Amino acid sequence: MSAPTPAPASERYAYVVETENLKKYYFMGSVVIKALDGVNVYVKRGEYVSIMGPSGSGKTTFFNMIGGLDSPTEGKVYIDNVDIAKLDAYELAWLRCRKIGYIFQTFNLIPVLTALENVELPMIFAGVKKEDRLKKAEALLRRVGLGDRLHHKPTELSGGQQQRVAIARALANDPVIVLADEPTGNLDLHTGLDIINLLRELNRERNTTIITATHDLKMIDISDRIIYIRDGRVRRIETRAEIKVSYVV
Amino acid sequence: MMAERSSVFPFKEALAYCTRSIRVRFLRVLMIMISIVLGVAFMVWLLTWSHLVSVLGVSVGKEVQAYGLWVALLSLIICGIGIVNSTLMAVYERYGEIGTLKCLGAIDSHILKIFVLESFLLGLIGGVIGAFAGWGIAVLWCGMMAGFPPELEAATIQTLVYVGEAIAIAVLLAVAASAYPAYRAAKLNPADALRKVV
Repeated sequence: MSAPTPAPASERYAYVVETENLKKYYFMGSVVIKALDGVNVYVKRGEYVSIMGPSGSGKTTFFNMIGGLDSPTEGKVYIDNVDIAKLDAYELAWLRCRKIGYIFQTFNLIPVLTALENVELPMIFAGVKKEDRLKKAEALLRRVGLGDRLHHKPTELSGGQQQRVAIARALANDPVIVLADEPTGNLDLHTGLDIINLLRELNRERNTTIITATHDLKMIDISDRIIYIRDGRVRRIETRAEIKVSYVV
Repeated sequence: MMAERSSVFPFKEALAYCTRSIRVRFLRVLMIMISIVLGVAFMVWLLTWSHLVSVLGVSVGKEVQAYGLWVALLSLIICGIGIVNSTLMAVYERYGEIGTLKCLGAIDSHILKIFVLESFLLGLIGGVIGAFAGWGIAVLWCGMMAGFPPELEAATIQTLVYVGEAIAIAVLLAVAASAYPAYRAAKLNPADALRKVV
């Protein structure tokens, strides 16, 4: 099934992310590696979307494109109806700070800072005052279940706990979108399930759009939509209803 | 459209971040600092010593003086090269951190601010330690040789200017030597910076 055509302009304000013929080619001498080869995807506000595919399918490249971490060879990315290629360095940084939260497979916490300080960091870049930052960071860490680990450094936390700090940090500036690149990749089965459930709860509570790039099948149950990518192209898109039906049969 | 929107990194926060970085990475940082300390100590010792011996009339050959200045210069150059190398290594190890900071909203100048500030602090601390060490050794040694005459006090105070100069040179050296690696690091785009993490 090919990607469905996007809705008419009047409905498109509900799209928080939209890509148009997105291509990313890497040129290594005479060889061209087509990491993304024409991807058209749209994501609605409040959706929980999983991008699924094997290693090398282009998931992480896609993640980098829609997160504004890298620029495409061709095509456009719209975040909240803004073409991010038109943003200058300052505006792009603002986007990453305020509109998007990032979660990585390797957690990527700042090792010299405590959990609390890690969650404060995005708020520092957003210009939030010290007292407000502390209160919010503490509240977020309590929400993810780390109220008793506020002053621990990443080396003193388990993988699951570090990922929880990363989730709290991603939510620090109340972003519209949370992008997660293989959030359960470095976690065992049980911890991975906890993290997935936590993400789903937060998605429901805050109406934050969550886009996960993953090959973890546990994500299937909780996603509103699944976009299957292989060899840089969208192969299939399944919605919740469709998944349920296929399992029943 | 979004022209006024940008992220900030107040000086107070940058300073807190850098001091924490230095404190936690202290042993690694010590290597850079030792080279600064030794280079600066030698330079201050040389200048202080030459001044004191000329004031107190202790005889020492003119050739020794000129030769000494060259050695001091050489040691500072070697020190500078060492700092460039150490900073390159340190920056490379922190590519992941840089990528992450950019994801959190840092712009190029914020990253530069962090590394330049860290080098500034290292130059300052290493410079202060080295300068006073070299100065102290020169004063004691010269004093002992001349038997601590009363003119020593006035002459000693005059030599404090070398301490000031040396600290300034140490700071300048540390900042200049780390400027290029820091600049390269600041210009990385987040995807590349994160990819380079082992």
